[in-house]
Amino acid sequence: MTAFLAITRVTIKQTLRPRRALGLGLLSVSTAVMYFLSGLGSSLGSDNDFARREAFDIFIGVTIGTFMNIVVPVVTLIIATAVLGDERRDNTMSFLALRPISRFTIGAAKMVAAFVECFVLTGVGALALGLISAPRIGSSAYVVPLVIGTAVATAAYVAIFVPLGYLLKRATLIGLTYVFIWENGIAATVPALASLSPWRIGISAMSALAPADFLFELPTFATGSLSPGAGGAAAKAIVLVMLSAASVALIVRRRDLAT
Amino acid sequence: MTANPALVAAPTVEVAEVSKWFGQKVAVSDVSCSFGPGLTGLLGPNGAGKTTLLRMLTGLILPSQGQVLVKGQKPRSNVERYREIGFVPEESAIYNTLTGEEYVMFAAQLSGVANPVQEARRAIETVGLTTDKDRAVGGFSKGMRQRAKVAAALVHDPEILVLDEPLNGTDPVQRAHLISLFRDLANQGSTVIVSSHVLQEVERMTDRVIAIVDGKLAAAGDISAIRHAMSDIPYRVLIECDSSRRLGAALLDNERVFSVTIAGNRIHVETSDLGGLGSMISGLARDLDIRLSRFAPEDESLESVFRYLVGGR
Repeated sequence: MTAFLAITRVTIKQTLRPRRALGLGLLSVSTAVMYFLSGLGSSLGSDNDFARREAFDIFIGVTIGTFMNIVVPVVTLIIATAVLGDERRDNTMSFLALRPISRFTIGAAKMVAAFVECFVLTGVGALALGLISAPRIGSSAYVVPLVIGTAVATAAYVAIFVPLGYLLKRATLIGLTYVFIWENGIAATVPALASLSPWRIGISAMSALAPADFLFELPTFATGSLSPGAGGAAAKAIVLVMLSAASVALIVRRRDLAT
Repeated sequence: MTANPALVAAPTVEVAEVSKWFGQKVAVSDVSCSFGPGLTGLLGPNGAGKTTLLRMLTGLILPSQGQVLVKGQKPRSNVERYREIGFVPEESAIYNTLTGEEYVMFAAQLSGVANPVQEARRAIETVGLTTDKDRAVGGFSKGMRQRAKVAAALVHDPEILVLDEPLNGTDPVQRAHLISLFRDLANQGSTVIVSSHVLQEVERMTDRVIAIVDGKLAAAGDISAIRHAMSDIPYRVLIECDSSRRLGAALLDNERVFSVTIAGNRIHVETSDLGGLGSMISGLARDLDIRLSRFAPEDESLESVFRYLVGGR
């Protein structure tokens, strides 16, 4: 347990440096800022049904079109690929791997560290978006589902990006290609591929917990073939994280850890 | 004792017919050797394969062929072996945001040390970094980083210490301190393996060397024994006397002597039989009424041996 916590703590300290945290934190809350700015020009009051409907549509638009499918993956990509990628770049794998600890402990600690770091950033963005949108929508019932959906999506992205960061030198570029070409291109047009898209898994969790009008208003590409279900989405994310931790353990056990 | 000088009688680390290639490049080729308690210098020019061999010893990289055993087991197969191994890599391997103490304590925690804070402080004191322990390692000089890495490798009191160019970047005082530390550890029964391409460093640390050239085991054992084994290379001897021309001329008549070069009162002699020349020189000088002031082999130093080993490189 000591080794697990030590790896988690040192990983967070190494990868969540102040400038990086500030930049990604600003990116994360940018959606809330966008949402806030979109309401400044509105002449209708929040007690007006039409205004509420308009505010809700904008909320869905920024949640699906900006926050979940751009902000969450980009923030997670940058942090999660660094969690093992920095170890390779800084030649510190020998420090970590040549120790009497199970390889799975290394993988699991890296996953936990990546998730904590990423969710601190994406969670703040989700909370800010939910809280800023609540008065205009006239309901705070979307705040917690949005935060939970973000947590699920973040965990699923972490599972993909942590091993990618170790295996590929250009992990950020490959990750961006995955997000924009695969997730927002191919998976958007083929509903059956939605379960391979972390942000859609997050939306599936959110839509199960949010009031029914959220699901009703969702564009079809946002869920694809996925049914709403918080438990199922969380289980998928957890399984992905466990598989990813096991794959990291396998990498540390089987591959050369220096070139 | 074993007949093969590359092998030791009670090995803690065994390298058996190990090769490693990266794509088309062969980094280490069919090397067999072993290491036991005491200090062994791993010598070789840059790019010879020392780092690759050391990385295989620790399990950081896997052999393409052959096997490495640490106390009878492959380290990768049994991570518990890492309780007994301390490794100082050649490259930086530093967590820049940690302080010196945090860095060493992290190593202690990963190694399952019972009292990480206390042991980290002890290791830091051992390498003389106590006054800088609260500074970020990222701001350390290269010599300080080296010492921090050594402290991190020592913190769990390993039985086997593998050090890849540990003296790089250190100043003469630090170097002397580290050399003394490595020798002490070896004298206490640890297996200490130190690689270096700086021959004087190795010469100050140990007599037992394993020389790697072009990925192959070029020589192993005691430095003077390696030199004596090179029977095809004439010995170079320096003789100083009060009449170098007369003695030089007399030496040329001796069948053991290949060549004589005279410079002032010094004579540089190349001979096939160092012992024979040593036995006859005093008698010859006495016969010629010449006073000898010095008779010394010129190429029994590690540097000379090494130069022969690497040939025309």
